[in-house]
Amino acid sequence: MVHILGVNLRDTHLARFALTKFYGIGHHTAHRLCARLQIHDKCKMKDLSPYQVTALASFLSSPSTSPPLPRYPLASSSFVPPPPNKSVQELQNEFNAAKAVRETKKQKRVETYTVKENTYVDPLKELRIESELRRMIRENIAHQRMIGSYVGRRHAMHLPVRGQNTQSNAKTAKKLNQLDRY
Amino acid sequence: MDIGPYFVPFPNLREAITNHVAIKTQARSCTILPNFVGVRFMVHNGKDYVPVTVTQDMVGHKLGEFSHTKKRFTYKATKNK
Repeated sequence: MVHILGVNLRDTHLARFALTKFYGIGHHTAHRLCARLQIHDKCKMKDLSPYQVTALASFLSSPSTSPPLPRYPLASSSFVPPPPNKSVQELQNEFNAAKAVRETKKQKRVETYTVKENTYVDPLKELRIESELRRMIRENIAHQRMIGSYVGRRHAMHLPVRGQNTQSNAKTAKKLNQLDRY
Repeated sequence: MDIGPYFVPFPNLREAITNHVAIKTQARSCTILPNFVGVRFMVHNGKDYVPVTVTQDMVGHKLGEFSHTKKRFTYKATKNK
């Protein structure tokens, strides 16, 4: 058993499925979380290192304030690995030369065009789980009820909101559509 | 492409704010804009016009959301027989 933020995750489950135990994390989000912490596809909960468990806990406790993800550049498709008998000194020199070339190219680009700001948006920045998500849902329902809209009224009547039939069934709505859902 | 909310222009909006005259409309799908706050609308529900007073919290919703089209079923005993 691994305990993260008060949720018990089974040892024998794959990490990407065990994470769906959290309220607000489905398969897609679990996959993204695993990718972020470099947990492989077949990794079970018991195989997680303590570092990964603490990283998971610290990320899930406040996704919006977590440090941004480091971006590792990948080698280009034309990359040829150097021969193994090359000395470290030579490799270092080559690397520095390549870096200098890259820097000058970047400088030129900055001078010629206005380079776009980093447009990458962290997909997990807006992640809300457990009590935070429940509170958000409750607040949304309360807001609808307060302004007296159709959606709020249907919630108060424990009936479906989006035009579904109510002559029979409507079981999920009767169960879930409450003013104080959680 | 961002198109923005659908709304209908009300030419008598300024007059409605100053004189507190209700605006009679059938545009249920018109989004409530921030400058509608405080205006009284008479929104058609298919049968008659229901009064809706727009408040700050309603901004972003549609006018039709506040003019209900269905009434609750109540059983009435038949008079004859």
